[in-house]
Amino acid sequence: MTILTRGAVAKPGTSLDFKTGDWRLERPVHAHRSAPCHTGCPAGEDPQGYLARLAEGDPKAAWETLVEANPLPAITGRVCHHPCEAACNRGQYDEPLAIHGVERTLGDQAIAGGWHYPLRAPASGAARVAVVGAGPAGLSAAYQLIRLGYLVTLFEGESEAGGLLASAIPSYRLPRAVLRGELERLLSIGMTFMPRNRLGRDFMLDELRPDHRAIFLGVGNQRGRDWSVDGVVPRDSRPGLDILKEWLSIGSLPAYKSVAIIGGGNTAVDLARVLRFSGIPEVHIISYRAVPGPGVPVEDAMRATAREVHQALDEGVIIHEHRGVRRLIIRGERVAGVEMVHTKKLTRAAGRRETVEFEGTETIMHVEQVIPAVGQEVDPTGLEMLLRGHPFLHPDQWGRLENFDGIFAGGDVREGAATVSEAIGDGRRAAIAIDRYLRGAAMPALESNEVRFADLNANYFEHQPRAAIGMLAVAERNAEREIEQPLSLGQIETESRRCFSCGECMACDNCWTLCPDNAVLKTREIAAGGDHYVFDYDYCKGCGLCAHECPVGYIAMQPER
Amino acid sequence: MTPDQPPLSTAELRRHQPVFRGLEAGHRACQGCGQALAARLVTEAIGPDAMIANATGCLEVFTTAWPQSAWRLPWIHSVFANVAAVASGMEAALKAQKRRTKVVAFGGDGGTFDIGLQALSGMLERNHNVLYVCFDNEAYMNTGVQRSSSTPHAAATTTSPAGREREGKRHLKKDLVTIIAAHRIPYSATATVAYPTDLRKKVRRGMQIEGAAFIVVHSPCPLGWGHENALGIEVARLAVQTGLWPMIELERGELVGAMELRNIRPVTDYLRLQDRFKHLFADDPRAREELEHLQELANHNIEVYRLRAEAPDRFDSEGMDTVIRGGLRTA
Amino acid sequence: MAQPLEGSQAMARAVALCRPQVVAAYPITPQTHIVENLAKLIADGALACELVSVESEFSAASVALGAAVAGSRAYTATSSQGLLLMTEVLFNIAGLRVPLVLTCANRAVGAPVSVWNDHQDSMAVRDAGWVQLYCADNQEAVDTTIHAFRIAERCELPVMVCVDGFTLTHTLEPLELPTQEQVDAFLGPYAFSRALDPANPLSMGTLLSPEFFPEIRHAHHRALLNAQDEIIATDRAWQNISGRSTGGLLSVEGPQEARLAILTIGSILGTLAEAQAESHDRTPAKLIKLRAFRPFPVDALKQECAGLDDLIVLERAVSPGGGGIIAAEVRAALSELSRPPRVHSYAIGLGGRDVPMTVYPQLLAAAQAATPSRFAVFDLQPAKLAETDR
Repeated sequence: MTILTRGAVAKPGTSLDFKTGDWRLERPVHAHRSAPCHTGCPAGEDPQGYLARLAEGDPKAAWETLVEANPLPAITGRVCHHPCEAACNRGQYDEPLAIHGVERTLGDQAIAGGWHYPLRAPASGAARVAVVGAGPAGLSAAYQLIRLGYLVTLFEGESEAGGLLASAIPSYRLPRAVLRGELERLLSIGMTFMPRNRLGRDFMLDELRPDHRAIFLGVGNQRGRDWSVDGVVPRDSRPGLDILKEWLSIGSLPAYKSVAIIGGGNTAVDLARVLRFSGIPEVHIISYRAVPGPGVPVEDAMRATAREVHQALDEGVIIHEHRGVRRLIIRGERVAGVEMVHTKKLTRAAGRRETVEFEGTETIMHVEQVIPAVGQEVDPTGLEMLLRGHPFLHPDQWGRLENFDGIFAGGDVREGAATVSEAIGDGRRAAIAIDRYLRGAAMPALESNEVRFADLNANYFEHQPRAAIGMLAVAERNAEREIEQPLSLGQIETESRRCFSCGECMACDNCWTLCPDNAVLKTREIAAGGDHYVFDYDYCKGCGLCAHECPVGYIAMQPER
Repeated sequence: MTPDQPPLSTAELRRHQPVFRGLEAGHRACQGCGQALAARLVTEAIGPDAMIANATGCLEVFTTAWPQSAWRLPWIHSVFANVAAVASGMEAALKAQKRRTKVVAFGGDGGTFDIGLQALSGMLERNHNVLYVCFDNEAYMNTGVQRSSSTPHAAATTTSPAGREREGKRHLKKDLVTIIAAHRIPYSATATVAYPTDLRKKVRRGMQIEGAAFIVVHSPCPLGWGHENALGIEVARLAVQTGLWPMIELERGELVGAMELRNIRPVTDYLRLQDRFKHLFADDPRAREELEHLQELANHNIEVYRLRAEAPDRFDSEGMDTVIRGGLRTA
Repeated sequence: MAQPLEGSQAMARAVALCRPQVVAAYPITPQTHIVENLAKLIADGALACELVSVESEFSAASVALGAAVAGSRAYTATSSQGLLLMTEVLFNIAGLRVPLVLTCANRAVGAPVSVWNDHQDSMAVRDAGWVQLYCADNQEAVDTTIHAFRIAERCELPVMVCVDGFTLTHTLEPLELPTQEQVDAFLGPYAFSRALDPANPLSMGTLLSPEFFPEIRHAHHRALLNAQDEIIATDRAWQNISGRSTGGLLSVEGPQEARLAILTIGSILGTLAEAQAESHDRTPAKLIKLRAFRPFPVDALKQECAGLDDLIVLERAVSPGGGGIIAAEVRAALSELSRPPRVHSYAIGLGGRDVPMTVYPQLLAAAQAATPSRFAVFDLQPAKLAETDR
């Protein structure tokens, strides 16, 4: 029985006896969702995660978060086409985060600081897995397998690791010292590296069986596609990738006065730029596709990284978009020119897209050589059983090959891979799949809950320009000096604070500040993350203010049952 | 707290919060009540060495249903019209006792703009060392949403409903700030729940003043204004961004500060979120005229208080609502 | 040592001796001299006190309330219109059980406007829950003022000290003022058990549901009834110090065997006593001075009136449409007697009309009436009224 007090005075804080949580129709819950930079990264990096560590002032922790998904950030931070930035929600507010520049600087810091991957060497009795091919796909797979505790034998046909990273990317994009720094670290984590061991030449797949419980194939596409124009192939024509590789390894380049490169990928563009840097006055690129840019749909754009294309244009490469080569003009045994025709990719019956040439639009361009850079195919040597006459392997999203138990594949060996980051992602997912396969465990569920810009509350962010990445002036460029300039550590830390932290609590204290009912409690003086706020459901009335005012979309309202 | 200790229960956690909780949970305010939030933020900034006099209204009703009280500060509710006088008496007593405990008065718009205005004027004229905080939800909400002199022009309330002959409240919102300014007290300011850092800053300034200080806090009422519970902050923010609720500071009657607006929004963005203005969106020339009028009132505020930001600066609203990772350390 | 003092001045000095820390001041005739005197005492440094010159009586009561709950002895004075203006706050103070002392310089209540003395004002607020003590003369006013702080603080009830406006407030006469030491020993420092204090943050003025409301009203009523003991005890304690008694709840003068009594309140008593002394009519009649109107001293009254045949209740207020206010309560109290006296109810001196000594024999004659007056204005001059208004 409650006893009346004189004058009906009440004691402080006794309202806590009244549990207003009973009023709720819905309750707030923490709901970690994926940032679009994460779902958009082919390698599966979590830029939101490492930008958060950077914003907290810990670049090493940021790098350690980054390398959970990608062991080669100094490389991808230079050569990746960064779809993360296109996906970045901040792009709908002012400018997307310069994730690419952040990744590169972190990668460079790691090399300079001698940072180590946070992993333990596998136990000596662990199962052993074979990884064939030490390009980005194979390197990624090997790295992740070791992280998961497996022993790895890494086979590589060349004398050095790196695949196309080493053989086909010029120094103005990827300096040799950086490549070396990344590869040295990666190769020293305890795998057995076997260079000069080419599949099909030095060993066959079934020889790997007794010692290796599973196999990952990251052999790339080593064979140039057959190319001819109307059945004609110039006598001294070599695939563009071969020329590029030769220049990278021994430094020699053909000396034409004018050349037309057929193709729109990175090989075509790199080769064109290298040729321009070597002094060739007229370097043309002929592509079915268009120069990438705003308003150009992705499926119509040249496959090369957009910024590389634009740098090429700045450097004087001439690009003929939406053009095909109809005919080669041969004089004697030498190429004298090409007949170009307008082309467009049109959607035909049943949704198929087809490149159509438009009669009546032909023009002649005089060039001394035509170089095809029209793509590669898988070299079937040693893979005949798996390929069965197809030009590529077709693994599923986890790298598993149907009908071939214990064999996994990823990277350029599968159709449509095409980029370094995709290869890294393939290798990572295949390693996970291998681990599950060997343990007999189920595959993990793929998360699909992405935070859109509308899920954020941008009122709490101030407009800030993106960190500007400097570039060498055209006049100063050559084939050796890195063209893109780095962002400093200070710049990337500033940039990291622009990150909206989509879907992950940034401990801004908004929910705790704005609850009219004191129903959000901090678990420590300075909050450091989502688990440092607790909803007190005894009192929460479910008004939803916290969810609406959460800047990062971390709080969802769920119906109260 | 080291990671090794076992987790605290929510009750224990509640006792360890790193701010002073003057207003505890378990009060009976409606879901999403702007006034409850404002009172909570204000008492946090006031700190424990104070005593509160509270006028009749929503705040006192939902916090002190005997035997429960949500207050953790000494608190008295007397009657509707006298909070400023009660506070004056408390201040005189503490002054006579030579104690530094601060007296704070809380009143709603009804208790401040209308029935309590005389006592408030007297308190200000005598310059008692009291911080008066008015929680302005723009109507007599506790009694069921009747119009007060603070109700904005054209808003619908139960005593100024919209109908065939009327477009809501006829009269303009009383310009209390000017009335307060005429008393030439050391400090007065407008604030809102949408900018809690700014509110806390102004409360602390008021607490430091030796003499009378007055702050009016815009406090959305989801029930009375007719907006969703979760949109209270959004609505309050828009009130500022349209210029309808200028954020200003005055000392001795002179304007000394205003929150500049870099991204001025049209009043319709604010009005359309609230049912109390929904009659203004009818296809009716009178409704359209009222919208224009309200826009002109906003424009007038922007002009008179010089709210339009002149210099380019990346901070909108002076960064008063910018979040930083890791939370507020200085506010 | 008696000194010639104006009533208001003496009361102000009495208040000052009680060391209030906060005085709320608002002018209204005829109370104004009290607060003016206090202001002068403060300005001369004779009283260390915060004088708050408020902007209305409503605020005066509120300031006093605020001061009292904040831990300071507080005081204010008012009359008539001012008392009614602060009525809401009076109820509030009493319901909160806050100790306060207020001097009501009784004055008629408009309309029509009157600045002269009657008791309509304090009677109008008799249900506010305050202790109401009426002073028959200025010496009683001085002593009762000092009593009031002690009663208020011990009972945690506000006390209204009623003194006739002009008649007492503006009269100069020799009065005894106690010493500061006497008053300090009598009152002690102010200590309110529920004072607002950050060290013990209570909430006062809460919302009380029907589940508890009857109980708290009962408690308040009981507190007022119990205050009767405190009123008596305080009077005795002060008598020990000063040698003077005010009579406690009520006092009676006159022959023990008298079967007729006249009950009155306030300064009329002095007129009646003088008139009785000088009257040729030697009819034995007691004069009952009612000092406490709230609490209404039912038992003490029954005791004094047990043997009476006739009781005239003479008051300076009327409840229009009802009749005598004190008379109604007297009749109710005495109805508990096995043989209650006939109660004759009269109002006199409304609006400050002078009460001449000739009224005494008139009253005695009126007591002989076959039917006791239900209620009448004793000094009515009907010729001043139109026929239809009589």
